[in-house]
Amino acid sequence: MKDLLHQVYFEDVEVGTEVPPVSITLTLQRLVMEAGANRDLSLMHHDREAAIATGSPDAFANTFFIMGMIERTLREWMGSKGTLRKITSLRMTTFNCPGDVLSFGAKVIALEPDNIVRLEVWAESKKGKTVTAEASLRLPSTV
Amino acid sequence: MSNSGWGKWGSWEETQALLGKIIGVSHGADAVEKGSIRRWLEAKEFDCPIHTDSSAAKDAGFPDIVAPATMAFTYGVGPYWKPGDPQQQLEDPAKQINIPAIFDVPAPCILSFATSVDVEFGAPLLLGDQLTNTSKLVGVTHKTMSVGKGAFLRQQDTYTNQRGETVAIVHMDIFRFVPHEDAPI
Repeated sequence: MKDLLHQVYFEDVEVGTEVPPVSITLTLQRLVMEAGANRDLSLMHHDREAAIATGSPDAFANTFFIMGMIERTLREWMGSKGTLRKITSLRMTTFNCPGDVLSFGAKVIALEPDNIVRLEVWAESKKGKTVTAEASLRLPSTV
Repeated sequence: MSNSGWGKWGSWEETQALLGKIIGVSHGADAVEKGSIRRWLEAKEFDCPIHTDSSAAKDAGFPDIVAPATMAFTYGVGPYWKPGDPQQQLEDPAKQINIPAIFDVPAPCILSFATSVDVEFGAPLLLGDQLTNTSKLVGVTHKTMSVGKGAFLRQQDTYTNQRGETVAIVHMDIFRFVPHEDAPI
């Protein structure tokens, strides 16, 4: 279990602060596990033949998984008391398929009133950046 | 060309007629509970105590364990089968995710995928919460992409809990299309 005492406060953060990357291997088994867990059972997310018919080289990770991994990346950095407010402009620039190792990262791009932190978020693999997005968090304050 | 099960078949005029209207409402198949949270975390190797440990969640200011905010989408998906529904036959098309708009809006297309998504989160997902997703079609933009010719359908999904609180508002662009080799000349 993660360290319960770990917490990032608004005052700890500045523009340019980088969030430690979180990586995860994509296998067909994980895609099947993920589809069952997130309830998006669309064939292209676990059936290679169906995925290829959509133009993908293989089954590919769905949006629910990508959003969840973004939340994981930000949560592991900020700690238990921060709040995920928004994920915006989420785009998948290519298919994320079995055999890919995805590394999720984020960097602070703005600090706003009410302890809001805006971040640029991405996922990358050997294919380059495969996901881009922005996120907005509210962090606790020390004052 | 016919509907191959990847969305309701219809003309672009029928698509346009639904612009600005509520497409449908889905009621999540399952309430927020520990088992589904655990399986969702497992697939992502996501270890965070506020999602698994009651005392940690309380220390963080929640009344009890909370589900990750992005699980709102999962808890808004309706059942793939429920009592009273017909038994699936081998020749039946694959079942699609049970959320309105994506597949219920008629369009002359046989395939689809999600492209851009914006989400704003609201109330936390508490144990026992039951979500409802109300979907509205808010945009139709025709485009030719590398995979085929079709249109981006922009939907707005509002997820609410049984207390009437908004837990998430999603704007999603879905590209509904016909692959180039299948497109009518």
